[in-house]
Parts: sequence; structure tokens; C-alpha cells
Amino acid sequence: MSNIIECINLSHVYPTGFSAIKGINLKVKSGEIVAILGQNGSGKTTLVKHFNGLLKPTGGTVSINGLDTAKQTVFNLSSHAGYVFQNPNHQLFATSVLAELEFGPKNQGLANDEIAARVKETADFFQLHSIINEHPLRLSFPLRKIVAMASIYAMRPSIFILDEPTTGQDHGGAEKVRKFLRKLQDDEKTVILVTHDMPLVAEIADRVIAMWSSEIISTANPREFFYDLTTMKKTKLQQPQVTALSHRLQNKVLTDGITLTVPETINALEKVLT
Amino acid sequence: MISEIIRIENFSYQYAHTDKPALVDINLSIKKGEYLAIIGPCGAGKTSLALSLNGIVPHMTVGEMRGKVFVDGIDTTQSEVSDLAHIVGMVFDNPEYQLSQSTVLSEMAIGLENIGVPRDEMLKRIAESLEIVGLSGLEERSPLALSGGQQQRLAIAAALSMYPKVLVLDEPTSNLDPMGKEEVFAVAARLNREKQMTVVIVEHEVEVIADYADRVIVLDQGQIVNSGNVNEIFSDVDSLARVGIRPPQVTAVTAGLEKKGFNFQSLPVTLDEAEATFSEWLKQDKVSA
Amino acid sequence: MAGEIAIPITYISGNSWFHKLHPIPKLIWSIGALVLAFSTRNPLFLLCFFLFGLLLIILAGILKNHLKVLMILLPISLSFIVLQSLAPAFPRPWVAISELGPFTIYQEGIYSGISLFLRCLAAVNFASLMILTTHPSDLFTALHKIGMPHQANFMVSTSLQLIPIVQREFIIILSAQRSRGMKSTGFSAAIPSIVPVFAGTIERIQQLSLSLASRAFGSKGIKTNIREVKATFKDYASGIIGLGFTFVGAWYLIYFGDELDWSEDALLPVLFSEILVVGSAIIFIGTIFFFWRKAKG
Repeated sequence: MSNIIECINLSHVYPTGFSAIKGINLKVKSGEIVAILGQNGSGKTTLVKHFNGLLKPTGGTVSINGLDTAKQTVFNLSSHAGYVFQNPNHQLFATSVLAELEFGPKNQGLANDEIAARVKETADFFQLHSIINEHPLRLSFPLRKIVAMASIYAMRPSIFILDEPTTGQDHGGAEKVRKFLRKLQDDEKTVILVTHDMPLVAEIADRVIAMWSSEIISTANPREFFYDLTTMKKTKLQQPQVTALSHRLQNKVLTDGITLTVPETINALEKVLT
Repeated sequence: MISEIIRIENFSYQYAHTDKPALVDINLSIKKGEYLAIIGPCGAGKTSLALSLNGIVPHMTVGEMRGKVFVDGIDTTQSEVSDLAHIVGMVFDNPEYQLSQSTVLSEMAIGLENIGVPRDEMLKRIAESLEIVGLSGLEERSPLALSGGQQQRLAIAAALSMYPKVLVLDEPTSNLDPMGKEEVFAVAARLNREKQMTVVIVEHEVEVIADYADRVIVLDQGQIVNSGNVNEIFSDVDSLARVGIRPPQVTAVTAGLEKKGFNFQSLPVTLDEAEATFSEWLKQDKVSA
Repeated sequence: MAGEIAIPITYISGNSWFHKLHPIPKLIWSIGALVLAFSTRNPLFLLCFFLFGLLLIILAGILKNHLKVLMILLPISLSFIVLQSLAPAFPRPWVAISELGPFTIYQEGIYSGISLFLRCLAAVNFASLMILTTHPSDLFTALHKIGMPHQANFMVSTSLQLIPIVQREFIIILSAQRSRGMKSTGFSAAIPSIVPVFAGTIERIQQLSLSLASRAFGSKGIKTNIREVKATFKDYASGIIGLGFTFVGAWYLIYFGDELDWSEDALLPVLFSEILVVGSAIIFIGTIFFFWRKAKG
């Protein structure tokens, strides 16, 4: 598997002089789901904006699918890396969900029948047929987020950058997002997940990158990351509740290590209790 | 005797141009000093219910109302929103959308100016409220330069300065990072425990609610489908699933084990309860039933 | 990009005599200055008036900020010279003094152009003096005391806050839409960029109105103010002097209007006039071009 995203000594200093990220070295393999964690202001958003060219490095390099982003336009990179913004209201402008889904493919200059095929496949997957003619701004917030994600999906990028996909969602909406991510995983898409949702990270991420004060201070798989209480304390992040439970029960109950999800915890406890 | 601060009687509300009512036959009594959590899926009517507590529903919305809402004895249909402002403080989900002034101080002053508080008293109340939420010293800062958590605490402080009896928070942490969420929950808890403030909070973070709330009501399609303390509500996992709510993770784990044949006296709803439950279990070395 | 086109006309805090002066006399002086400037076309008077305003600005310590404003206004004001010289807003007959290609330069036009130019600058000096040294809240607090509704104060300060917010949102929306392959220029970029701004602003204002209602906005009864604006003897005196000066000055200028009309006497050398007109045109067009290029990003 090749590196679909590669950052070499990447740094970005804003015109105001603020150094948002420094010395970032990062390799993401094709098909990986990488979660980027950290408090607001740690540099997460600045980092991922380099992946579709919205920001260009002020130091170091970023390459996407082998392309040096400094030499590419956002337009070119948008077919490689789709960025779903945190607030769907920043994207939705059309008079129907259908038009929203068509927007990306149209911009890509596809033929009409190809656009129609993409829209149908997207609507099928996200179950949007019942609201395909609705005005996006009349939809509930969780549905708007789904439409925003769908409109990026319709562009068929190989990399998905999702900024806080479960924030502002109720439990049903969050479950829909989880389903979407699992499908992306099955389709072997690369996903960059910027999120505060620790249970989601524990469930789906292959790798966790924690940022603090403009730098990457940890990269590990979720199991290692959630066990590392020092880093968690430093970045002021919390373990998912089941992980915290398994951690507390370490010496008394579970000796196989911490658990990450509800099913895993059930199985681990079942083993011990029988 | 603990008295009632809010009474809702057979309250129904339907927004104009909609085909379903937003709230149906709500009957609810909220006691002074209570920490009440309202949970439910999106569209259940939680925000409509919260907004009826200070008269925004029905005075600032267009629709049909039936039944009554009494706040501190006052019938909301017979008074203006501005009259209820010093009884019920309201905090909304988007921190930035609530702020409009160029300094923290002038933001805090708006409410007090509106109710005609004398200038000296204003400065005193502002200093007090900022201290409670932990924002002292930031009077001259621009609200837009604050973090999300700080902005939301500012919104709380602005509400507090009116000396309300009830603080209503509508999904106050949905737009905040983990640190910000913790700050807001801590402030709400402190107000409830130290100042006996009645707190009504609409939230999705069930793990946190289990730690703080005295009572939980579950709303679905405009109706209260369940009401009780945190243990009663969160251990009824099937009932929650029917309305699309998941319980705290530790409760889900225990419910899952129950389905596999294990017996528990009661399902834990907080981390501490779960730790105790399982530690206890292992001491007694229970096996499947 | 869009974020750099900030509005330089905002309150600058400071401690000068002008900052401490009550907003109402300042308002009187500003309006009075406008009245005086428009009461005459005499270039010498206008020039002195302009210099006097400049002196006050230096005393108030706001020269740097004021110059930023002038930088934008100067080239645009020069257009007056160009336009007036070719088509004077002045009673006929006109005396032609030069021909430049298809255009004729008139004596009255030059005179009128220079007057308008100086009028504009003089008026701006005093407007600047007012705006840069007065916090909007203080102005409206003062107006509130003499009967203006409380809401107006609030509307102004809120609108001022809204401008940088909307700018910021616009930039985010452009990023979001570009990420969907939208080309950033051209007609097709207009709707995807602007509709979300409007929708977002409307939603923001709706939420804000609920938040304010929850803080008793719109309540009847006496309102208080956290800002204090006290009127002292100094302030009353300035106000009265300002009014007096305006009335007397305006009367003088209008009464002696004919004698102060130097349009026949102030004959400028032909070459100078030509250079003035052509130079102004170049600077004016050049500035427009410069801003157009800058906005393109």
C-alpha cells in the first residue's frame, strides 16, 4: 500500500505571525482511517486544510496521491480529497437535495448520464430518495449534515476529510454517520477524521494522531492511545466510558488489556465472569 | 417543603404551517433546586419545550397553544417574554449566536440595562456573575476572541446577572470541544449544588447527565414518554432504544450481559456504579443463571 | 483577499480633549462644518478650513488613522476636478481655456472642480474628527438622554459587530464551496457563495433575537446605561460656540457670496490646468484599477 498523504516537515505560519502547525511529519496509507484529535486551537483544522489545498505550506511539503499540493489548485485536489465542513450551512445553497448532490460532479465536468448515475448511487447509499426534492434548509440539522457528506461522496474522492461529523447530532444521526464510515472502510477509502467523539474514534479509527500546541505529540493505534493516560491528560481528552471502566477493572477483572467498544467489553466481561 | 417553580398543564403547541403538533399534552412539575434533564431524538420537541419556559413559545413564535405554563406562579400567556427574563435565564446551543457586543462588559450589561438596574448595582452583579463562571478579569475582551467554552460561560453569566430562579440550557455543549463541555457542565453543577439554582438542561450526552441529573424526562414526537430518576430511565434500555436513544455505555454493557443470561440487581448508569458492580461481582464469583 | 478590505472608519480610543468632549457638541460642530463647507465655493476659505480641520486632527492624535481615510478619498475626490473641468456645475457663460482632444477645459470648471475637491476634504476632516474620537455607544447614550429610542444604540453597535463576522463567514463559505470544485470567479460562483452567507446571517439574527428577548430586550420602563456620558460646562460652551459659529459663518458666506466668487479672477495658467485635469484623471482611474486588481485576489 502506498502513502496517499505524505507531510514532510510541514509547518504553517499565518500572515499574523501565528505558527499554527510546526514540524509535522505524517504518512497516511491508502485505506487508512486516521483520527486527528486535540483541543480547538491545537492546529487540527490547519493541518487538514493542507490535504485539499485550501492552505499551502509555508514550510515543508504535502503530497496527495503523489501530487505536491503547493503546485496544485484546490479545484484539482478536490477530486482527490473531499472536505466535509463541520457546519453544513456553510455548504448548502441549492433549492433541492438533488441539486446539492449534482453540484460537485457538475463542477468536475462530468457528462449528464454520469452525473445522474452518481447522484442515484449516492442517494441510494444515504437513503435520501424520500427527501431528494426537499429544500436543504428545511431539513433538520442532522439531515443537513448527511446531505453535506453525500454531496462530497458524489464526487468520488479517494480521501475523505470529515470535520466533526457527529457534532450536533442526536444518537440516530450519529449512528448514520457511523454506518457511513464503516462503508467507507469497506470501500477502502482513506478517511481523515477530525473529531471530539472518543467512542467513535475507539470504534473506527486505525490510527490516532493527537495534537497539542501546534505539534503532533502522539501517533498510535486507538488501543495504545487510550491506554496512555499521560498524553490523554496533557491533551485534556477523555477515554470512552467503557475504556475507562476496563482500565479501572484492570487489576481486578480484565487482564487482557483495555476495551474500546461496548460489544468488546461485553465479551471481555463474559469471559471473566464464566 | 420543597415548592414548585414551574408547572406545565396539558400543554400542547403546533407551529403554523406544520401538519403535526410539536408538543402534545405535556404535564410537568419542576421543583425548586431540581436538576432536570430533557432527552430525546432530534425533532422530539425538546427545544420547543425549553423555549416555553420563558415565554418565547408562544410569544415569539407563530402557532396554536393549548394548556398553560406557569413560571413562579405567573401564567406565561398573560405576560411578556421580557417580564419573565429575570425569572428564567436561557442559554442556547450556539455560543457565538448569542453574543453581539464588542466587549464582555457591554455584553453583560445588555440585560441589566433593559431591566433598569442602576449603574453601580450593574457593575456589582457583573463582577459577581463573571466570578461564578470563572471569567473574572476578561471584562474588556472581545467576546469573539474567547474560546467556545468561554463564550458559553459568558452567555450563562449574562443570564445569571439577571438573578433568575431557573436556568434553562438548550443543548449548551453541542458546539464545544471536550474542555468546553466540561467547563459548562461544571458551572451548571456548581450553580445547582452551591446556589440551589433550578437547572433544566436539554442534552444528548447521557453519560454526563447520569452523573448530575436528579430527574430525566424522555421526549418523543412531542410527548413525554418516560420520566424518572437517572437509574430508572437509563436502565430501561429497550424503552430508550425505541425512541432512538442509547444509554450510557456502562449501562449498555451490563444490559448486554443480562441478555446473555447474567443477573444484575440493578443496572449501573455511571462509571463509579459500574466499577462497583463488577468489582462486587468478582468477589462473589457469580456465574450465569 | 476580502478580509483585507477592512473599514478604517471606526472609533480609535485616546485621551485627547476631543475624545473627552461630549458627543453632542461634536455632532454640532461636524454638522456645522458641513454647512459651512457647502455655503461657499471660495477656494481660499475652503483651503483654510481644511487646514484648520487637519490641525485639530493632529491635536486629537488621530492623524495616522485619518490619513488612511484620506488615502481612499483623495483619488476619488480628484475625479471631481476632472468631471467639473469638462462639464462645470456652474452658471453659464463658461470660458474655455484649453482643448485636449475631444474635451474642452473650462475656467469655471477648474474653479468649481477645485472647490468641490476642497469642500469634500474639509468636510471629511471634521467628520473624521467626530467619528474617530467618539465611541458609538457614547453618542447614542447621549442621544438617548435627549429622547432617542434606546434600541437605536443597540442596533448600531450590533451592526458594527456583524460586519467582521459576515466577512469571516464569507471566507469560510468560499473555502467550503471551492472544496466542492467550484471555480472562485465568474457568475456561477455567485449563488453558491452568497446564499449560505444570507442564510447564515438570517439564522444568526434569529437566534440573537431569542437570546436578547431572554434578556428582557423590548421591555417597557426605564432603561439604564453602563456607559456614563456627563455634560460639563465645557461641553455646553463648545456646543453653543459651535452653533453660533455655524450660523454666523454661514450667514457671512452667503451674504457676501458674490464678493467671494473668484471664478473670474482666479485665472490659472493654461498648462497648469491641463496638467491638473490629466493628472487627476490618471490618479483616479489608476486607483480604481488598483482596487479592482486587489479584490480579485
